[in-house]
Amino acid sequence: MPRMPTRFFGSVDYEPDSVFHFPSGIPGFEDQRDFVFLQVPQSEPLMFLQSLASRSLCFVLLPILVADPHYRLNLTPEELFELGLPDDREPAIGEDILCAALICVAQGEVPTGNLMAPVVVNLKKNIGAQVIHGDSGYSHRQPILFEENALSCS
Amino acid sequence: MLVMWRRPGESLVVGDAIEIEVIEARPNRVKLGVVAPESVSIVRKETRVVRQENVTAAWSIDHSTIASLLRRFPR
Repeated sequence: MPRMPTRFFGSVDYEPDSVFHFPSGIPGFEDQRDFVFLQVPQSEPLMFLQSLASRSLCFVLLPILVADPHYRLNLTPEELFELGLPDDREPAIGEDILCAALICVAQGEVPTGNLMAPVVVNLKKNIGAQVIHGDSGYSHRQPILFEENALSCS
Repeated sequence: MLVMWRRPGESLVVGDAIEIEVIEARPNRVKLGVVAPESVSIVRKETRVVRQENVTAAWSIDHSTIASLLRRFPR
């Protein structure tokens, strides 16, 4: 099994088929196309999206339904196509796709999640994208308050 | 802010080298075409916002912030 250096967890083994390819990259880091979701049981429900090529780049995410149990994704036909998803039905979060919000922790402030532009990955084809829904009404800096009842819906 | 009305097929020009054409207008969205020099970056505004937020997010987190994040979750 190949090993990769990670930002937070030293060198870890990873399955080659757990690599997700982001054809468009992630805005701000367009040169990074391949990422691995690190499994860290003691850090649940946080998720870690580690760049394969760059040890120093690792995003911290929260499953979108933990950030907002009522979240509505509404992928466009173009986004479904980019992600290799069928366009005749809504993909199911947790089955067809994984959907998570990037977390930002500014010094001294409440952590925020980017609900306007979640990361979505096709779990069957290992394709990922950050979808930007500027007209969704969701904020790119939604305070994450971690209410107890939110966790039961994840 | 300069405000003007345009119909589909009509354009406006910015400086000497940038032209923005209204290609199609629908009730709640318009299709625009932009001609500009290669050196000019053209992105949707929300893409720029997300890019800046991603960069901030990526470098905002270290081991201690992860620990403080995890303390917020009921165990």
